Amino acid sequence: MTTNHITANESTANHSTANESPTPYVPEHTPRLDWARQAPEVYKAMVRLDAAARKGVDPTTYELVKIRASQLNRCAFCLDMHTKDALAAGESVERIVQLSAWEESRHFYTEKELAALALTDAVTVLTDGFVPDDVYEEAARLYDERELSQLIAAITTINAWNRFGVSTRMVAGHYKSEQVK
Amino acid sequence: MSARTTVLDPAVRDAMVAFSAAAKKGLGDPGLAELLMIRASQINACAFCLDMHHDIAVAKNGENPERIALLSAWREAGTLFSERERAALELTEAVTLLTEGSVPDETYARAAQHFSETELAHVLGVITVINSWNRLMVSRRIEPGGPAW
Repeated sequence: MTTNHITANESTANHSTANESPTPYVPEHTPRLDWARQAPEVYKAMVRLDAAARKGVDPTTYELVKIRASQLNRCAFCLDMHTKDALAAGESVERIVQLSAWEESRHFYTEKELAALALTDAVTVLTDGFVPDDVYEEAARLYDERELSQLIAAITTINAWNRFGVSTRMVAGHYKSEQVK
Repeated sequence: MSARTTVLDPAVRDAMVAFSAAAKKGLGDPGLAELLMIRASQINACAFCLDMHHDIAVAKNGENPERIALLSAWREAGTLFSERERAALELTEAVTLLTEGSVPDETYARAAQHFSETELAHVLGVITVINSWNRLMVSRRIEPGGPAW
């Protein structure tokens, strides 16, 4: 590949080697529903929640949290967006690659980031049973009460975006980070 | 059970309240909204939310208590729930259990048969907002009826 910024559509002819005929990717789907247009007040409230929840959360940590929750919820659109945002903000490819195995690659992350990731996993996979005391207590040890409350709100918010993204099958691949010039 | 925190930023709280109001108002079916909120709260095991939405459903909306009692077994509950309610409940389970898989095409298609696009967007809003409340309450271990902030 010769270009870093290709969309899913543009990439169909670009991933074969010189001696092979191109094997196209399957066609892109259309989203099930334009939920933001159908429910503009809900969308506005989500934007407001997002703005409120991010206050006081370290931006680098928050991008990791957003990518991790989107992995667990398998939100393609959200992974596309937040991976690009993280890279544009200077996050390393290595830390993003390791994120789904963070428990086995702890040395890529700070103690506070690890506590935030453990909390993200617990709050996102709520249906496996509550948020364990050890997970909560480790986060409470490293974050003050207000920071912890904001971190919980931030995890909750990306979970909400994930739900809209997956249920309406929002299309990944077209997002361009505003931070990329 | 050790207490956690009741701290919740007023701006987060107000945005959540606006989110709830927008989703419920847009759906325009308070009875259905409560069923979906109770079902998601069962799956996420949110004690505070179960307590609150049971009260709203039964005491405020006049919901039949038998329907609440059988809600977690709605698939086996015969005609106690309408086809429209069943489609919305199926969607609620899929969107709540996102980490166990996607939202299947059949589930989405069944919901789309019973709801217009605008209604469907608000059904998804109701499901998502209760999932958000569930997370805020379970994480902070807010007790039933207790102060939530």
